[in-house]
Amino acid sequence: MRLVRDLGRRKLRSGLTITGIAVGIMALVVFGSMANKMNALIGGGSKYYANKAVVSVGSMYSGNIQPLSLSDVKRVEGVEGVGAAMPTLDMMLSDTGGATMGTPEMITADIPGGDKGYETFKIDLAQGRTLATADADSKVTVLGSDLARKLNANVGDTVTLRDEPFKVVGIYAPTLTAPDKDAYVPLAAAQELFVKSLPPLIQANINPSVIATGIVVYPKAGVDPEVLKTRLEAMLGKDYTVMTGKDFDAMLGSFSAIFSMVLTGIAMLSLLVGGLSTINTMAMSVAERTREIGIKRAIGASRWRIRREIVLESAMIGLIAGLIGLGIGAAMTMLFNDLGRASGNVLFDLTLGTALTAIGFSTGLGAVAGFVPAWGASRLDPVTALRYE
Amino acid sequence: MALLEGRNLRKTYRLSRRNTVEALKGVEVSIEAGEMVAIMGPSGSGKSTLMHILGLLHAPDPNHGPAPELLLGGENVASLSDNARTKIRARRMGFVFQDFNLVPTLTAAENVMLACEYAGIKGKQAKVAAVEALGLVGLADRADHKPSELSGGEQQRVAIARALVNKPEIILADEPTGNLDSDRSAEVLALFRQFNREQGQTIVLVTHDSEVGDACDRVIRMRDGRIRDQGHRAVDQLAAGEAVA
Repeated sequence: MRLVRDLGRRKLRSGLTITGIAVGIMALVVFGSMANKMNALIGGGSKYYANKAVVSVGSMYSGNIQPLSLSDVKRVEGVEGVGAAMPTLDMMLSDTGGATMGTPEMITADIPGGDKGYETFKIDLAQGRTLATADADSKVTVLGSDLARKLNANVGDTVTLRDEPFKVVGIYAPTLTAPDKDAYVPLAAAQELFVKSLPPLIQANINPSVIATGIVVYPKAGVDPEVLKTRLEAMLGKDYTVMTGKDFDAMLGSFSAIFSMVLTGIAMLSLLVGGLSTINTMAMSVAERTREIGIKRAIGASRWRIRREIVLESAMIGLIAGLIGLGIGAAMTMLFNDLGRASGNVLFDLTLGTALTAIGFSTGLGAVAGFVPAWGASRLDPVTALRYE
Repeated sequence: MALLEGRNLRKTYRLSRRNTVEALKGVEVSIEAGEMVAIMGPSGSGKSTLMHILGLLHAPDPNHGPAPELLLGGENVASLSDNARTKIRARRMGFVFQDFNLVPTLTAAENVMLACEYAGIKGKQAKVAAVEALGLVGLADRADHKPSELSGGEQQRVAIARALVNKPEIILADEPTGNLDSDRSAEVLALFRQFNREQGQTIVLVTHDSEVGDACDRVIRMRDGRIRDQGHRAVDQLAAGEAVA
């Protein structure tokens, strides 16, 4: 309490210093939450791609995913070490597309049971059931949590996906990753939607029932996905892309690294600005209190005690600033998430770890900044300090 | 045995590279337990320097002439470390200064409790001791007031309570009445006198004020960094008088 009172006697200066650090901490919280979300997305993808190989035509990142044909699936199944090969079909939910932050909403389809039990990546259900073999020819869907909220859909409702009505049979629990924005449908339904989206001239020449955009290849137990990838590439040739968990990690690891760098940059900046302004504030407060320090030393306060007093006061500045920064940052992430939820853009994930790091960081910053003036104060000669005007 | 005994006390302050001031030029002084002594002298006579050395705020110069000795209760404290001197100040000494020197953000009781804290007494025990000390100086009802809500005389009485609270062996006061009008001075002086008489509290006062000097048992007079007159011990005279009677 005494500490707070000491801060309170220079309200404006303490307030400005606290505001300065709080802004830095707020930025740290907001960007940290964003990085959490990004890392969750990447981590989710990394988990999905682990221990499998995904075949597509052309480059997935050229933005041009051409259809594969089911005959490709047959060829892949013949490769040594392949446990199961399942055709998948992914397409944007909305034709208009446009820029979305994070991941886009997708219609994604595969054959229920097509993984032959190899798939280890499972998403928990919030409501209803997953797609079953019996659904193969029905217009049914299981929605990701964000998409369900956006469409305001519950199990039993009918939603419209690309102008076709689909009955919602299940809703997944939030994963905070890409599947939250997906609508899962049976392959046949997706094939129909896919063909409908093509220009009429092409439509006429395509048999919907053979199209896929990707093949998920599960290696047999004990087969290294990387080895399998080499074999698949040798068999399929240059026009096909085979991606494994390792490729995914290599590609998106750099995103993660950039985010970490931005975050570190913000942390260093607030360290510098906040630290210097805290040193300044505390140095001024020590100068103003020279006599008080003198009297305390005279009546028996040890140097250590004087140091501790100033470091604690400085840490208190950091703690208060951290709490304020965290409060504003948390409010901002919540507000943005609420605003974004309507359009399916949940961009921030404020974790307990991020919150504690922010508070710890600013408190530590305050304490460290306090050391410089504290050291000076503790070296004051009590008699000289008492005479200080 | 004297409570506080100094020999060969010298102190030279260096004001700049060339300019040094010889504030104490070899002083011998002895303070008996239970004495109330005034140190008087013109400005620059070395009286404050002597008090700072007696109060272990400064150490005497170790290397100008014969080795200094400063005995507190028979133990040589002349060359102790800063930490050791701080501990003695906290536990065995009380200080009162001219400018009252209270911490402005703390209440009267909290100011007194600071001294308890430094002496290693905490919590409820410190609170009780502080309130008791404030009672002794007649400010029990002002315990929760901040210094800014107290008059100068009251502030100085809080400072005296702070000096007293640990029941120190010796109280050192530097111009304790210097910033008070004559009525308040008389009050403060009466308090010191009372503690000295009733509790045998040893008190050393540095003062300009001859009225303060007159109220003490003995006046040590200084000039130019030396003691000119050790003064007469009223206690000795009293004892002698009693023996005669």
